[in-house]
Amino acid sequence: MGKYWYETIAVAQRILTELLRRRRSLIFWIIFPISVLLLNGLILQERANLTTADAFANAAPPSLVGAALFFSCLGGSVATVVSEREHQTLKRLFISPLNGVSYFLGIFVAHTCIGIGQTLIVYAIAAWVGAPLNGSILLGILIILLSIVAYVGVGFILGTQFARRTEDVNALVATFGVPLLMLGGAFLPTQLFPELLLRIAEYNPIYHMIEALTGVSANGEELAAIAPHFWFLTGFAALMVFAGWLSYRHMVRLERRL
Amino acid sequence: MLRIENLNKSYRDRPVLQDLNLSIATGEIYGLLGPNGAGKTTTINLICNLLKPDSGRIEIGNQPVSEATKKLIGVAPQENLLYRSLTCRENLDFFARIYGLSRLERQKQVQACLAAVNLVERANSPAETLSGGMRRRLSMAIALVHQPKLVILDEPTTGLDIEARYEIWDLIRQLQEQGVTVLLTTHLLDEAERLCQRIGILKGGQLLVEGALEELRQRIPAKEIVVVNTPEEQRAIERGQQFGFTPRRYGSDLIFWIPEQLSLKEIFDCFVDIPLDSLSRQPVSLEHVYIEVTQSQNNIGFPLPAVIPDPWTEESSY
Repeated sequence: MGKYWYETIAVAQRILTELLRRRRSLIFWIIFPISVLLLNGLILQERANLTTADAFANAAPPSLVGAALFFSCLGGSVATVVSEREHQTLKRLFISPLNGVSYFLGIFVAHTCIGIGQTLIVYAIAAWVGAPLNGSILLGILIILLSIVAYVGVGFILGTQFARRTEDVNALVATFGVPLLMLGGAFLPTQLFPELLLRIAEYNPIYHMIEALTGVSANGEELAAIAPHFWFLTGFAALMVFAGWLSYRHMVRLERRL
Repeated sequence: MLRIENLNKSYRDRPVLQDLNLSIATGEIYGLLGPNGAGKTTTINLICNLLKPDSGRIEIGNQPVSEATKKLIGVAPQENLLYRSLTCRENLDFFARIYGLSRLERQKQVQACLAAVNLVERANSPAETLSGGMRRRLSMAIALVHQPKLVILDEPTTGLDIEARYEIWDLIRQLQEQGVTVLLTTHLLDEAERLCQRIGILKGGQLLVEGALEELRQRIPAKEIVVVNTPEEQRAIERGQQFGFTPRRYGSDLIFWIPEQLSLKEIFDCFVDIPLDSLSRQPVSLEHVYIEVTQSQNNIGFPLPAVIPDPWTEESSY
């Protein structure tokens, strides 16, 4: 167990150090959630006739799990895996005694740290304009963690199966990501969706992430009230971790040689 | 330190290694040579437990190859494979952690490896800012950071300038002084000549010859080699044969094995009425042995002398 922990922290620390080293990327990861939150908050305030506090309380969940975490955790984990493949550092890891589980967990931990940082930024700004944090903080954190797990799992699937070069990442994220984000309510409240789109959205995990977190943090709801969203998210996260792991194993089988 | 017995490996139906037997003693530098596709990299993959053999056995330090033996091996692959935005120190520290070194061991080993590869002054420079030679040295330092018993260097100086090559060669010699076993693959035959105690030549997945450099040289029954450049090659071949020289074709070069030491005048006298563009003498080197072993079109229709085993027509006894 100690070996896994030791290796996981080493991988996570390496990813975070690389991010710190590329200061521009770090700054962009900070600017992105702030800009999305401000835009969502201001649009809601104006068009839904809400107070600034209520508008930002409702804007924070989609800005965070629907946009910020999507790009940092899904896009980030795809980019991490693809970069390792492209620069072949993954081969160096194959030679080493690093366990695949530790590698997966290391990427998860690193992106969790980035996600936590973005969560703090989003909710700090929301709090600064007076947005209340109504529900259980623990439940909110659990929803955010499940979202990160799901995104990293999807990132592993895309990074190991569909993207071989860094250029592929943008195309992948744009093709799969942007429609899912819109359909999930990241940029537009789902209340405005027509009936048909709303039905389709119910199969979109991002919709459930946003609804679950909005229910807890903006509306102060308990687990029972958000249960359908929460359990959908839990199931999806578990499925993505499993599928991500299988995808990783498949890639290892194909690439495990010098 | 390394023992390979009856190793076989195929990719689909194509045999890549056939009954490979090889052993390397502790502290030895062993050169594994061979053309591209000979099976060198597959051998390394099998030693590193990245591939499973179809049959046969590999032991490192008397342990069968497994995930556990990975800690005994340090590999510097052909490409440097570095985290480019991390500094030299961070690259080393990361791999030291992956190999399970404690914080104190890491500090000590990272510093020692930086010093060994002469990168102390660039310890805090990102890998992407290093020159090609420095990157290669860093790659070697990563292979050494966990103090492996067996170091595998896959073409360690390919693409480097001569100064950087000398630095890498010095480092390899230092490893040997410290009792580390080195398996070196290279296409640079002078590199193998300079560094290796024993050399094996692999072709088509088979180890065709193996031995110390002098033993390999003795497989060519010549005191020296003469390279002749003439527009009348056929006459030169016939003349050479009259004097007991063995003609060979190495690429576009026509060469003769000279069975006894002759002066330059004596050699010129042999080709007296043949127009020569150039004539040069060379000692028998690993390059000549390598070409004899790996190429089958050298003998210009003349059978190989009995002294050198002909790997294309009979089973090698080495």
